Amino acid sequence: MDYVSPFDERRRVAEPLAPRRSSLEGARIALLDINKRQGDRFLDRIEERLRSRGAETFRVVKEIFSKPAGPEIVRRIANRGDLVVEGLAD
Amino acid sequence: MTSEALIAAPEFSLASVAGGSVTLEELHASGPALVLFVSEECPTCVLTLRRLGPLVEELTGAGLRVAAVFEDALEVAARVARRTGFSGVVLSEPSPYDVSRAYSLDSLPTAVLVDRDGRQAGRVVGWDADGLGALLSVPVTDEAPTRKPGCAAKSTYDAESLRALDGASAFDELEEMFERGWTDGLPVIPPTPSRVDDMLGGRDPDEFLGDMAPAMARVTLERIAACAVLAGCRPDYFPVVVAAVQAALEPVFNVGGQAVTTQPVGQVVVVNGPVRETIGLNGGVGALGPGWRANMTIGRALRLVVSLTGGGFPGRLDRSALGQPGKVGLCFAEDEEVSPWEPLHVSRGFPAGRSVVTVFGADAPLSISDHRSTGPEELARVLGEAAAATWSPNWWPLGGTSLFVICPEHARSFAEWGWSKQRVREAIFEAVRRPAAALRWGETTPLVGAAADDQPIGKWSSPEEIVLVVAGGEAGRFSAVFGPCLGMNAEVISKEVPWTT
Repeated sequence: MDYVSPFDERRRVAEPLAPRRSSLEGARIALLDINKRQGDRFLDRIEERLRSRGAETFRVVKEIFSKPAGPEIVRRIANRGDLVVEGLAD
Repeated sequence: MTSEALIAAPEFSLASVAGGSVTLEELHASGPALVLFVSEECPTCVLTLRRLGPLVEELTGAGLRVAAVFEDALEVAARVARRTGFSGVVLSEPSPYDVSRAYSLDSLPTAVLVDRDGRQAGRVVGWDADGLGALLSVPVTDEAPTRKPGCAAKSTYDAESLRALDGASAFDELEEMFERGWTDGLPVIPPTPSRVDDMLGGRDPDEFLGDMAPAMARVTLERIAACAVLAGCRPDYFPVVVAAVQAALEPVFNVGGQAVTTQPVGQVVVVNGPVRETIGLNGGVGALGPGWRANMTIGRALRLVVSLTGGGFPGRLDRSALGQPGKVGLCFAEDEEVSPWEPLHVSRGFPAGRSVVTVFGADAPLSISDHRSTGPEELARVLGEAAAATWSPNWWPLGGTSLFVICPEHARSFAEWGWSKQRVREAIFEAVRRPAAALRWGETTPLVGAAADDQPIGKWSSPEEIVLVVAGGEAGRFSAVFGPCLGMNAEVISKEVPWTT
């Protein structure tokens, strides 16, 4: 029996993972705060630990947690960072 | 790999999912063919189809036809091929599996390479990446597992087992929908091409309305029509469903956020204008359901677009902690004829004679009884205080729009007391205030935290965040309020119904 699918049946190809780094020494790490309550507390602690291992960090904040990061945010991370850590919260 | 070179491959003619039948002779007419015997129940077969699927194009380009012979019904073969991304020829072998027997199969999957003269040039049993790579002369994925045994071929079953199997695999169209996952958990109407065509009513199936998050799926009229059929809509409901989907696709509605949030929010659809009468949409007794086909199925169709097409399926990308019955779908008409006030769509800037759909991202409805108030201020306060508990009792202001459904008896009382709709909104807004100090327990807002103890805080930031519509039975002093979806910046969206039937 033939049916009309409610789905978008285009095949999705998984993006390959970026190469893993062997060390955090000298890595530039974006800390993405999605702007959800207490996410900053989590990222503060992560930032402290990353810096203690020789990484350079910088913070980027989304306008609102429930919408995808805009192109400007993505550009800032891509231009400056080697890695990104995103802080979910609540 | 076991060599079976020079042994003639038994001829066959089997039903194809592409229609008609295909013979082995056709498969090897212009070059070698790979015949892959598989079955739905065998996990190794599914793995093999998944892994060979991406190679089919390359193999076909190199002159090798690839065909899967399923020891399953045609519908099952089609589904498994689709799910696994296998794009070769898909054939179905009926019970008692004489073709498998002719090939002396013991287990599945078995891949048989047939040369262009119709001779068996080799075979591989089970998943064997190296063996298949050598058989096909192409690199096959080295992803683990590189070897995996399969299951017994059904051709090896005795007569009694085959009878039991045939009884169990009788095709049931309604069960098929559950198997495909084309459901919200309730039975659906299978979206056959003819039903979808009826729903489309001659409109372009490929008309594109937008991409829907979280799947970022292309939403076309055809996919909406498929959801409308699944939901049980009649074709004359379709323009209302389309208007609701158009509204949900507005970026400021943030349907992707609503679809995945842990808050149990659904999309509530309020309909105004003449289409209510045309399609029999209920705004009277029991308006919030159940009982009326248009109400139940239009709301459900929108939810199926969100959860199936859009990818916000409960427990997968929809992380709603509890869910709620309104997430099955919720649509109702405003009873404009009973309401003493201007209808919702007119308040939102549409001419009175137009048919308009308004969508809200909303929490579950809270019923509000009031059989005793003796004046409009008191009744407005009852309604407002009930809404004060929505989201969380001390989360003030809400930061979103609350939808009140005012029952006809409450609406009539306000009218008799001479109150306009705007005056009721303002009274609800004014009535629900607390000093900040009284709100400082449990979950509170930053505003409450920063305010002076005696600073009055309202549940809403302005009367504009209070929307009133009139619906319900002529007797019974029960109104209701839908708390908002929060954290999404989700606006209330109205769309005119795009055509009439």
